[in-house]
Amino acid sequence: MKKLYSLMAVVLLASMLLSACGATTPTPAATQAPAPATQAPAATSAPATQPAATQASSGTAPDCTQANVFCVGDVTDVGHVDDKSFNQSTWEGVQKAKTDGVVDWAQYIETSDSKDYAKNIDTFAQAGYKVIVTTGFNLTDPTYAAAKQYPNIMFIGVDQGLQKDANHPDWPLPNLVGLVYHEDQSGFLVGALAAMISKSHKVGGVFGTDAVPAVWRYGEGYAAGAAYEDKKNGTTTTVTRVYHNDVGFDKTFTDPDWGATTAQSMIDKGADIIFGGGGITGNGAVDKAAADKVLAIGVDTDQYYTLPEADPYLLTSAMKPIPGPLEDLIKLAKSNKFPTNGLYYGASGYAPYHDTANLVPANVDAEMQALLKGLTDGSIQTGVSAAKPAQ
Amino acid sequence: MQSTADKGFIRRLGQLLNPLLVPFLAIVTAVILGGIIIKVVGGDPIAAYKGLVQGAFGSPSALSETAVWSTPYIFAGLAVALGFKGGLFNIGAEGQIAFGAVAAALIGYALPGWLHTSIPPYIHIPLAVGAGILAGAIWGGIPGALKAYTGGHEVINTIMMNYIALNITSYLLNGPMRDPNPLNLSARTPEIAVSARIPPIFDIPGMRVHWGFVLALLMAVVVWWLLWKTTLGFEIRTVGANPDAAKYAGINVKWIITLTMALSGALAGLAGAIEVTALNYRHELGFSTGYGFDAIAIALLGKNNPYGIILAAILFGAMRNGATRMQFLTQIPIDIISVIQALILLFVAADAIIRFIYRIRAREERVVLTRGWGG
Repeated sequence: MKKLYSLMAVVLLASMLLSACGATTPTPAATQAPAPATQAPAATSAPATQPAATQASSGTAPDCTQANVFCVGDVTDVGHVDDKSFNQSTWEGVQKAKTDGVVDWAQYIETSDSKDYAKNIDTFAQAGYKVIVTTGFNLTDPTYAAAKQYPNIMFIGVDQGLQKDANHPDWPLPNLVGLVYHEDQSGFLVGALAAMISKSHKVGGVFGTDAVPAVWRYGEGYAAGAAYEDKKNGTTTTVTRVYHNDVGFDKTFTDPDWGATTAQSMIDKGADIIFGGGGITGNGAVDKAAADKVLAIGVDTDQYYTLPEADPYLLTSAMKPIPGPLEDLIKLAKSNKFPTNGLYYGASGYAPYHDTANLVPANVDAEMQALLKGLTDGSIQTGVSAAKPAQ
Repeated sequence: MQSTADKGFIRRLGQLLNPLLVPFLAIVTAVILGGIIIKVVGGDPIAAYKGLVQGAFGSPSALSETAVWSTPYIFAGLAVALGFKGGLFNIGAEGQIAFGAVAAALIGYALPGWLHTSIPPYIHIPLAVGAGILAGAIWGGIPGALKAYTGGHEVINTIMMNYIALNITSYLLNGPMRDPNPLNLSARTPEIAVSARIPPIFDIPGMRVHWGFVLALLMAVVVWWLLWKTTLGFEIRTVGANPDAAKYAGINVKWIITLTMALSGALAGLAGAIEVTALNYRHELGFSTGYGFDAIAIALLGKNNPYGIILAAILFGAMRNGATRMQFLTQIPIDIISVIQALILLFVAADAIIRFIYRIRAREERVVLTRGWGG
């Protein structure tokens, strides 16, 4: 009996050693990564298009070092590609480019620790990838450093609004573009809609800290949009905005309880539409409003797909859609027309009304489309500063 | 027929290797089970492990990154092991690492401003690292003193102190110590001065391995020397083995318990200080999540032996580092590494499973992890 066990141990050991060496193993066979279960947000303001199912690359990786093989790599921020947030939207954009035949091979690396940012970017660079996409503010500096180190690789930093300063003296680099958004335009659109739909003419906005410029632009754009429609229609809408400035940066976007109680106090004072802008904190406000049968407005992506419990009361979402503009940038990189001014503004927008479409009269919908057009072509200005003015 | 000299050599080799047997078989078993799990979720285990090994050891830069990952694991593993040797279970390494990093970062970026002068590296680096060691020692020494003089159990107290440390760190990094750069959106300190930075060993881009790794290896020798070659080490081990006997032998048990926890905390603080001064050049919230807890697994896997801890830390560092390439080549979720590490820990802690599977007789002394409330 004892001998049998030791024999087994030897066999197991041998098999383990063989797998470790793997000298005779051919190239990794087709492996399928788990496909993110959630759906992609529908196209901005268009009637709900069929969301494309996300799917990881399958098949054998080609030799990306060949000049004619166009490979795109995606380095996530700490987390996973199916996080229902930026990591997921970014990977959807890369996937979209693959499905549309723009790229030959797409691959992601999920970052598990912030000290690996540079290494993960480097893994793609060493393998001859032509475009490397990095997700989120935290990767700004590693992406900048890599762009300087690899001048022949195009880098796209999602949500990375850089400017020339002491730490980035050579900005803008010809091979680095930050994909950024006019959040004030998205906020303006949903603010205008809120002013037109609200019966009490009291609307609320629950936000993360306004020290983050994007949050400031959402919130102030929201008020500006409501004021624009007030002026046009002769109404007076009270816009209550509360920024979660009383806690640290690590908590301001992850405090759904604060979001819910803040929304509650606005509802108690008669607000009948609540805009939740700022990560999970805003989600708390949206969920609370919907639970109280009060209309809610989501943020960043079409939250119809990420907060299903709020669906019956989700009026729209202020969107900064990533997949479309990201694919455009990848196309530009492929055709050697990569922007060289360092920044690329993605189109702003608002999500379809979905379940609340019957609450939006045709003339309001027409006004919304006119506003989107006006903001896009510049004939309407939000008047919101890029960041909170220093006191 | 073997000569007696040969027999003696084989017996000594066996004695040397015997303590390695169970950890080794635990790793093998965990790797095999991990392979089965990869297969079940639809991956190719051979390709995955090939990627893992390549990513950890396949190139000079891979080796360098493995060393970078192993460095905090060695320091923190030594910290936990030193506690174990004194009969104390330091679960507080996480908080001690955080405070070590905060203190090193503060001295690193603020000291030149306070003194209104630049400081040469040979003074600034020791000051920054020393501040980290001191902060860790204080944060470890408090639960040590509580245990020695009031009987408050160090397991409870170190866990509590973790929460206090992490929340104070969060306050500091969001408030007084926050990077004032207007573009900064994170809870992090400014970058430390160049004079406080421990340089990389090689001046090659992409080779980040730094002198902190060498220091970690030296520290393992120091801890071994302390534990087995000094009176203090003898006292620590005696208190760990039997506090009553130690007291009867005239050892100041309360002082030794406090000192052991302070030394343990100092090593953990050193882990945080080195990460700041040699690698990240700043402290950032979210960094080091879990090093203190992985360190417990590393101490157990290394059987609380300083040299065993080096091996265990390099193994864990290699797995964390190689995971990137594994995912790059096979798209297998990086979390599989955590599963394998958890399985290793399970098999090392519950070594009866391994002994049963491979029919190994229990011959070595059992490791005393911690004592009950009365101890």
